[in-house]
Amino acid sequence: MFGFLRGMTFFVLFCAAFLFWDILSKGASKVFEGDGMVNWEFLTEHPQTLHVIGEGKDEIKLSSSNYFKLKDEKILVKWEEFRQSDEHDQSRRELDKVINLLEREWDDDSLAQSNEDFLNRECDNAANKFSFWKEMLVDVNNTAIDFEMKPEDVPSMVSQFILGHFEMERVRFSLVEEKITLFRAMQYPKIESISLKNAEQIEDAYKLFLSVVPEVYNKSIKLFGREVRSSYDEFMQVEGPKEFGRFAEAIVAYSNVRESFWGKDYESENWESLQASLTPFKRAMNVSLPSRDYAYSGGGIFPAIVGTLLLVIGAMAIAIVLGVFCAIFLAEYGKSGKFLSLVRLAILNLAGVPSIIFGLFGFGLFVIFLDWNVSLLAGWFTLAFMVLPIVITASEEALRSIPQGFRESSLALGATKWTMIKTSVLPFAMPGILTSSILGVARAAGETAPIMFTAAYAKRSELPWEGLEHWTDFFFQGVMALPYHIYVVSAKIPQNAYTADMQYGTAFVFLLLVVGVASLSIILRNRLRRKYRW
Amino acid sequence: MQEALKATSENSQSLMDSKNNAPSIRIKELDFLYGNNQVIHDVSLDIFPKEVMAFIGPSGCGKSTLLRCLNRMNDLVDGARIGKGSIEIHGVNLHHKSVDVIELRKKVGMVFQKSNPFPKSIYQNVAYGLQIQGIKSKQVVDGKVEESLRKAALWEEVKDRLNENAYGLSGGQQQRLCIARTLAVEPEIILMDEPCSALDPVATGRVEELILELKNEYTIVVVTHNMQQAGRISDRTAFFYLGKLIECDQTKKIFLNPNKQQTEDYISGKFG
Repeated sequence: MFGFLRGMTFFVLFCAAFLFWDILSKGASKVFEGDGMVNWEFLTEHPQTLHVIGEGKDEIKLSSSNYFKLKDEKILVKWEEFRQSDEHDQSRRELDKVINLLEREWDDDSLAQSNEDFLNRECDNAANKFSFWKEMLVDVNNTAIDFEMKPEDVPSMVSQFILGHFEMERVRFSLVEEKITLFRAMQYPKIESISLKNAEQIEDAYKLFLSVVPEVYNKSIKLFGREVRSSYDEFMQVEGPKEFGRFAEAIVAYSNVRESFWGKDYESENWESLQASLTPFKRAMNVSLPSRDYAYSGGGIFPAIVGTLLLVIGAMAIAIVLGVFCAIFLAEYGKSGKFLSLVRLAILNLAGVPSIIFGLFGFGLFVIFLDWNVSLLAGWFTLAFMVLPIVITASEEALRSIPQGFRESSLALGATKWTMIKTSVLPFAMPGILTSSILGVARAAGETAPIMFTAAYAKRSELPWEGLEHWTDFFFQGVMALPYHIYVVSAKIPQNAYTADMQYGTAFVFLLLVVGVASLSIILRNRLRRKYRW
Repeated sequence: MQEALKATSENSQSLMDSKNNAPSIRIKELDFLYGNNQVIHDVSLDIFPKEVMAFIGPSGCGKSTLLRCLNRMNDLVDGARIGKGSIEIHGVNLHHKSVDVIELRKKVGMVFQKSNPFPKSIYQNVAYGLQIQGIKSKQVVDGKVEESLRKAALWEEVKDRLNENAYGLSGGQQQRLCIARTLAVEPEIILMDEPCSALDPVATGRVEELILELKNEYTIVVVTHNMQQAGRISDRTAFFYLGKLIECDQTKKIFLNPNKQQTEDYISGKFG
């Protein structure tokens, strides 16, 4: 029997040792790099996509931010090479020429000219379309034969055509979209009961309407044109890849407005040579850095560390305040009786409730009913309720273990009951209360289920103190948390060769954090104990 | 109540020599019960200013209960109540609903059987009663702490280590510290519940000396198991048995020539 018992004990010991050894050894390799240095990126970065370059031994693992940094560096090298080459000087001269030509597009004279062109072209277009529709209306019977339909259906078909036309115009002239919608709405009665006379009136009104379009477009063309010019000047001054990027963006924005107003074909020669003269620069910026990308397997866990700390501290503060007041009532004021044993029974039962039930309870009460959404506050209260039984039971024990003599002496010196509790019971019970709360800390930090619905985000790019409009927003934001993060990287993302690293690293940091918080409480408790010894 | 107490404490100067004047405490035909269990039966007793009254008797005779009635410490016990009779201090019924029990306990201090200083510094222990009254002035508190420690004959021993934990003191010193703590709130009457039962003979001797000194200023009621001690320190002695007051008289009379047979049997050690 002795051998069997010893065997069982050793088995338990072995399992525990294996668990810790597994997490510590694998996690440590993530947190500490080969040469024993702390992997600060893992501790201070956000979770990111992992980019893996190369294979086997030469494999380089980079988080997104480092990957793009590296890419930028490579671009810079290539760019410098390009600047040294002869091709560069020529391309620059050409670009200069093209830009100067292009610039004429948005001076007042050429705008006046192009406005006239625009109006002539668009009015011709409109006249063409309307003449086609008017013809259909002139000889309804003939049209009906052509389209194989009844003569009385022809007008409604024409009105459909007209409505469709205005719809297309609305898309084409995106800058005056609202004005066209309004125009169509005003003409709608006439379009619906279309007749030859109505069609003429609509045509005239539309031609009149077209004359207001250039005004709006000219403004935008000038605006975007000047942006092209100024970003070009900037680019010429510095001639770096970033400045070129901005310049290229300005051109794209300008080209959109330009196309919408004039159409693709307007003086396309100019435009084509612009594109051509940009090409050498674009080529200089085109660096390929092939990598295999794994979502969510790189970067660090800083937001989760912060989130877990916040959750634990807040939940414990709430739990200790609520729990201690409750325990004071039970230990000092409660008269023994049915009510008190009922309360105790309730507390004991609460301790046995599965944590996922607490999660659902918190979700129903705090997130939905009180409308706190997924937030720190909801998580705090849910976790606090979960650890309350531990805190209450242990605090009551701690209060009861204070010698009756302290209470009596205090009262005999003229203290009221509350003063007595405040000055000569509670302070001395504090070490005991803190001891109990250490258990609570480990539980509050460790549970995933209660925060899954109430406080935890799988990914959040801002840290809790970033982007707050008002200080109260702090309490109504979700956070990332270590246990939930472990769950997410283990179960919610596609698994690959690099997710295990992330899991073990997170578990390692998580263990250290819980041990750290617990040690802090132990130190605090020991200091109090030394202070209040009897 | 407060005024009544104050008024008499002013008068008490003139009452110093004549102990048979108006009593400090008058217990009238008192019955006291814990739930349905009557522990004090029809006790009537007067205690006079500036005397030391000793309560003696075997365990469970109700002497401690009676002592704890005098500053209403029994209020803390569930189901404790007065059956009939009353306790008056300077003519005011303690259990009347207009009596402020906090003020009463300031005027009627208590020292317990087990020395139980708070686990704080010596200074904080003595200052406790003042601080809970809201006295903040350091000067006032400092003065009062020194005065109380001097009265409790402890000042010379602790003046250099006022900020050390009270639990560093010896048992006897701790008990005198508790007395000093009681003195700091300026009581008029001091109740002592077997103050020396946990002390060695030397420490006991010092506490007894202290009691003899204190009786010049305070009315003292001592519960004791130790009959020699009662003989050494008390002016009068009351003998209780099974919740009844058997006999109360001058201490010498009780010890040398008691009126009742039960008293003589107890004194001579036939039971108890």
